[in-house]
Amino acid sequence: NTHLGLELRLLLLYSDHTLKLRRLCFLGRTQVIKAVHGRLLLQPLQRSWTPETHRCCCCRCCYRALFYQSALLARPLVVPNKYQEQPHLLTARIHSSQALYAGSDSKAASLHWTAERVLSILLLAMGPVAYFSPGPVIDYSLAAALTLHGHWGIGQVLTDYVHGDTKIKIANASLFVLSTVTFAGLCYFNYNDVGICKAIALLWSK
Amino acid sequence: MCLFKLDSPLLLTFARQGVCLSKPQYSFLYRHAAPMGTTAKDEMNKFWAKNARLNRPMSPHITIYQWSVPMMMSITHRGTGVGLSGAISAFAVAALVLPGNYPYYLDLIHSLSIGPILIGLAKFGIAFPVSYHTYNGIRHLYWDVGKGFKIPEVYRTGYTVIGLSIITSIAIAMI
Repeated sequence: NTHLGLELRLLLLYSDHTLKLRRLCFLGRTQVIKAVHGRLLLQPLQRSWTPETHRCCCCRCCYRALFYQSALLARPLVVPNKYQEQPHLLTARIHSSQALYAGSDSKAASLHWTAERVLSILLLAMGPVAYFSPGPVIDYSLAAALTLHGHWGIGQVLTDYVHGDTKIKIANASLFVLSTVTFAGLCYFNYNDVGICKAIALLWSK
Repeated sequence: MCLFKLDSPLLLTFARQGVCLSKPQYSFLYRHAAPMGTTAKDEMNKFWAKNARLNRPMSPHITIYQWSVPMMMSITHRGTGVGLSGAISAFAVAALVLPGNYPYYLDLIHSLSIGPILIGLAKFGIAFPVSYHTYNGIRHLYWDVGKGFKIPEVYRTGYTVIGLSIITSIAIAMI
């Protein structure tokens, strides 16, 4: 399982003539390609490996290589099975994938969710305040909170039921217009007329 | 299987097994490699686009699934929410468009001489969606902090919301 943004495939030639293909993801986790009987297999990461043990040694130099080194691939050689010497990285060839953000780092959706709940709680608190101390401040606050709560709520409804890129765009644009008009109307009412709290009080006095 | 140890930024220690390539056939590396992920949004759009393109009918869902109290409460929450939002928007548009001010229109309604029962009913009709949506909203917030998901709890809190809504609406309608 990968949470990749950018994926680099690195062909690394070491001084012990081993050729390693590494897949380096944005977070630095790697997988190893190894050859078995001439066929190449993608070896998944072991769960027991800690990030340190499988992080690509040359994370830094790999990224540098991406920008500074050009590809140079030596002819592959037959590799002796046992090799005592510590290998040094000679060259690296890098292929990079498109930056498809599968597990996006953006917290926008999560923050939106939290904001929705915070607004709901605020709106709950505004009820008693509007009842016990009505006035222009609570009128305008109520106008803003009600409009935004409704805007986000209808937004969720649209997300659930409207499908297709263009339809979604049109629906969201229409909602935005409606919410703007709603807020404008409520503010106009607060300014030029009796205001929300007074309006409810008058309505109920009938 | 290879294990890697971090010695220094430029060195790696490998296990005894090396890698042997007979030919630089890198194309089938991509075949073996795990596919790149797509976002959930992309997947959903692909689903809908494909089914719309193939003109597939929607499978029956709400017409065949047995309705339950939680289901009905959920859609009522949504319905009251949409309804209230629509009413507020309609009020705002009316405030912008209609001539005259609010007391003028109130007097207009007064002059229609509607009986007290109908007035009470109308007040209940306004109070009930507001109180139901508010109480169920609190129930939703209770879920959002991770509590009350067991089925008996869902039903208990649900009935509490319904009961409280009715009582509150009647009380408010009588003011």
